[in-house]
Amino acid sequence: MSFEPKIVGFLCNWCSYAGADLAGISRLKCAPNVHIIRMMCSGGISPLFILKALEAGADGVLICGCSPGDCHYKEGNYKTLRRITLLKKMLEQLGIEQERVQLHWVCASCGDEFVDVVNKITAEVKELGPLQAGVKSRV
Amino acid sequence: MDVLSPYKEATDVILEAGGEPLKLCYQCGLCTGICPWNLVRSFLVRRIMHAAQLGAIDFGSEDIWTCVTCRACVQRCPRGVEIIDVMRALRRAVASMGIGVVPDALRISAKNIAGVGNPLGEAPEKRNDWAKDLKVKNFASGTEILYFPCCVPSYDPDVKTIARSTATIFNKLKIDYGLIGTEAKCCGESIRKAGHEDTFQSLAQNNINLFTSNGVKTVVVSSPHCYHTFKNEYPELGSKFEVIHTTQYLASLIEQGKLKLSKEINKKVIYSDPCYLGRHNSVYDEPRKVLQSIPGLELIEFPDAREEGLCCGGGGGRIWMDTPKGERFSDIRVEQAVAKGADIIALACPYCFLNYRDSVLSMGKAETMQVKDIAELVAEAI
Amino acid sequence: MEEPRIGVYVCHCGTNIAGTVDVEEVAKYAETLPHVVVARHYPYTCSDPGQELIKKDIKELGVNRVVVASCSPRLHEKTFQGVLREAGLNPYLFQMANIREQCSWLHEPGPELTEKAKRMVGAAVNRVSRHVPLEMRAVPIFPATLVVGGGIAGMQAALEIANSNHMVYIVEREPSIGGHMAQFDKTFPTLDCAACILTPRMTEVSRHPFIRILTYSEVVAISGYVGNFKIKIRRKPRYVDEGKCIGCLVCQEKCPWTALSEFNAGTSKRKAIYTPFPQAVPNIPVIDAEHCAYFLKEKCRACEKFCDANAINFEQSELIFELEVGNIIIATGFDTFDASSIPQYGYGRYPNVFTSMEFERLCSPTGPTEGHIILADGRQPESVAIVHCVGSRDKNYNEYCSRVCCMHALKYSHLIKEKTNAAIYQMYIDMRCFGKGYEEFYNRISNEGVNFIRGKVAKVTDEAIAEEEKGKLIVLVEDTLLGTMLRVPVDMVILCIALEPRKDANEVARLFHLGRSADGFFLERHPKLDPVATMSEGILIAGCCQGPKDIPDSVAQASAAAARALAMIARGKIEVPAITAAIDETECSGCRICNLLCPYDAIFFDDEAKVSRINQVMCQGCGVCAAACPSGAITHNYFTVEEITAEIEGVLA
Repeated sequence: MSFEPKIVGFLCNWCSYAGADLAGISRLKCAPNVHIIRMMCSGGISPLFILKALEAGADGVLICGCSPGDCHYKEGNYKTLRRITLLKKMLEQLGIEQERVQLHWVCASCGDEFVDVVNKITAEVKELGPLQAGVKSRV
Repeated sequence: MDVLSPYKEATDVILEAGGEPLKLCYQCGLCTGICPWNLVRSFLVRRIMHAAQLGAIDFGSEDIWTCVTCRACVQRCPRGVEIIDVMRALRRAVASMGIGVVPDALRISAKNIAGVGNPLGEAPEKRNDWAKDLKVKNFASGTEILYFPCCVPSYDPDVKTIARSTATIFNKLKIDYGLIGTEAKCCGESIRKAGHEDTFQSLAQNNINLFTSNGVKTVVVSSPHCYHTFKNEYPELGSKFEVIHTTQYLASLIEQGKLKLSKEINKKVIYSDPCYLGRHNSVYDEPRKVLQSIPGLELIEFPDAREEGLCCGGGGGRIWMDTPKGERFSDIRVEQAVAKGADIIALACPYCFLNYRDSVLSMGKAETMQVKDIAELVAEAI
Repeated sequence: MEEPRIGVYVCHCGTNIAGTVDVEEVAKYAETLPHVVVARHYPYTCSDPGQELIKKDIKELGVNRVVVASCSPRLHEKTFQGVLREAGLNPYLFQMANIREQCSWLHEPGPELTEKAKRMVGAAVNRVSRHVPLEMRAVPIFPATLVVGGGIAGMQAALEIANSNHMVYIVEREPSIGGHMAQFDKTFPTLDCAACILTPRMTEVSRHPFIRILTYSEVVAISGYVGNFKIKIRRKPRYVDEGKCIGCLVCQEKCPWTALSEFNAGTSKRKAIYTPFPQAVPNIPVIDAEHCAYFLKEKCRACEKFCDANAINFEQSELIFELEVGNIIIATGFDTFDASSIPQYGYGRYPNVFTSMEFERLCSPTGPTEGHIILADGRQPESVAIVHCVGSRDKNYNEYCSRVCCMHALKYSHLIKEKTNAAIYQMYIDMRCFGKGYEEFYNRISNEGVNFIRGKVAKVTDEAIAEEEKGKLIVLVEDTLLGTMLRVPVDMVILCIALEPRKDANEVARLFHLGRSADGFFLERHPKLDPVATMSEGILIAGCCQGPKDIPDSVAQASAAAARALAMIARGKIEVPAITAAIDETECSGCRICNLLCPYDAIFFDDEAKVSRINQVMCQGCGVCAAACPSGAITHNYFTVEEITAEIEGVLA
């Protein structure tokens, strides 16, 4: 059986979660590998949650927030951007590839974009293969 | 591929000839679905309507002459389009404007009507010969009723029985009636439907003048076609007389107790509604009442009776044209009558009489199936 | 805390879920999970009996936490929280697994769907066992309403609300309110003149003590939440002082510079200082800086010279200000399809090919020809082709039906007959005359003499192949009812162009957090049961921004949106989720990182205690502070570390 990655997706409630809903309402189809966890704001996604996901068996983590300028909480997504940039630097040092943790902007009317993003991260993590147990323990 | 352009002039001709109603047609095709022709062959009424709308009609096509004007389509048309008026307008465009060909059979009948006042081409002075031995008086001012039998029973030896039976009944009941002079002409109903509007106008004017000058107040007719035009078309041209169909008249006599039927006719009788009595004028009950008054007679119905009644094929001038074997509606009716176990097909229209008689003969059913006008049956039962 | 006793309810949603997910297996699996005391599957869990089922289990089985696996929480989270409340449970002891929008609808059918649904349910069960009761908060509703768009829908909504003595702001980006309806000549099926019914409305709106019209203005930012929105408005400079201008329009008369008139759909010119149409509200001109000689070349100022009221002010600049409202009604209308994107119809190439909007203006007494239907060379047309479905019902452009074109095509027939007696050909695919009095109108117009040709036009050309076609436009179409190719030579062609989402619908959707359906129009909360609300609480939609519709439907939807806003205002307050953040003072190191991060300035530093504190009224619950706290002293309620960790472990199980 080919490798099917497990990916945890943290989606903000206002834009991205609505965008994912819209994808379903529009009957668009995407890979089933991303497991969505609803957050209020992408800015509320603690780096701890991302690390926790990788530790608990995720091969990748997707973070989606409102497009820049559209944050429901004014500018939570800018904080996300800075936070994820920093986190990825740290993950790199742990030997975790860039592609495993991805941040994308998905708006409430962006059903197609959501599907594209899910398919993209799924394909890329599949390509990388499972996150090795050794790396996990370092997390 | 043929490429057409809408031909406004042709549309205008049709509209001028009385085709205005076609503007309302929204092409649902219900008319085609209802049209009895599609029981025997393809006849796309809807398509004709649309071609007429665009002036893209083929005036040489036999389709122009196919409609039997039975009114089945008009009765159900969701837009209330008077499809018969459109068909008549198309024929009128051909007949009066010479832009197509009038079928031969129809041309002869039209010539006869225009020439001698009847479609059979018989001498006008022989119009009342059918009654020679029945001592029927000529209509004179003060006579209560004018009996107008229609050209076919007047001249056709096989159909005379309708007129003679009617006169016999009237004589027995001592009804004050008479026949109009031999100046009377065909009522013109069918030739009008066949597109000969001018002929109709002159026939109608002749008859109206004749009736009026003789002081006619009430006309009893044997043909639903005479009935229709006298009742619905002549008044527009100035007629003032009352029109009664024989079946209506007989029904009223029975109701008043003046006509008593005592002889039994122990037969199964099936009644065929004439289009021009039924759908055109909503007379459904009186013919049935008359039949049910005959002792012993069992009245049965066709599978599609009354509003749904199948045309005999003789309306709209089709009575003068040949319909090939296999496409005759009356053949279908005879088969239905046989299947229902009828002994007699009862009729109330001379055109039906002609068509059913032909069908029974050509189908070799003359031994087992009789074709009779209601007047004949009443005369027998009196 | 008492031992969790979890009830799990897997919804079939008819066949929406059960068609591809084995709901029985999901329920069976749920039964095996820790703390689960009952797991059921049910055809419609949101239905009354479905809700009763949950209440019954809470009462009889002592269920104290609930998981519903069904649609999106955005749709029914409130419904089920209400069920818990009614059954005496805290509504936050609840978790939804979105196995419809984000599972059965989102992935190709297959066994993996059931597996995924199981993991989603498992995660929800795991999470809900960590939930703690939270208290809802009631916040007051600000009684003013913002209406975005001053067309017929916007005006209707504004009047409905204002008539109950509550303030309404209409923001309109054009110089006048009126919208597309102001451009129409007559309205179907009654054929009453649009201006005659619209202008009194416009006046009523402008004089209403509870309506403030903000024309030439746009919403640039919005913040807050239902009941308490803060709206940032940008008012473009008119360069005309509204307080001084008396509306004499001498400036417009004297202005030597012109541009194409937007109001006349480009069929005529207007001046650089102008009001879009004579009945404009407000009747105050604007200077179009892009076409004004003063702004382009720093000379002219003719308008200023002739203005007795001294109202011209070239120094005016844009104004940014803020409004506070409780509800927002979006009524931004539609744009029309660009007919030149179907080159074979000849729009833009042949001067006698018009769009429906241009034709409206051609028919109008206030239009470029004063209502005379004439060709480019001034002749009256002897024949006109009206082409339906231009840009509608066509995969290549817009798949949807624009719903009004059949009817305005019929209206055009009447107007052309009335004014010119030209022969008319309507090329249609289906006649769709569905409104009140519409079929009767179709009947009436048919009777006036119109040639209906069933077929989608292939081409409009001026290449004559016969003498009678010379100098004409020839419309090529199959008459599908005759089964014949037709060439219809005409003098004029009218293209009934599609109604489309506004060009900037995407920006507006992002601004107001609206979804858009596949056709690009704004997405309603529910296509049948809630066509005026959106997924964003307190933001309503009305009119053509939600989808093509005629005037009666736009007005009805606008009234419905107004009723919704009024209901909220009448209630006076709304319960908002108790999702806020709280600081554990014993853990707080007083680093003050959170103080700066909070977008609402809800966190302040207690100098005495040397710890940060969160104002629970100001906190909006985004969780940015909790994610940033280096000592982990901040709890984001309903999104606690324990809860999210439990969910993560659940989905990865």
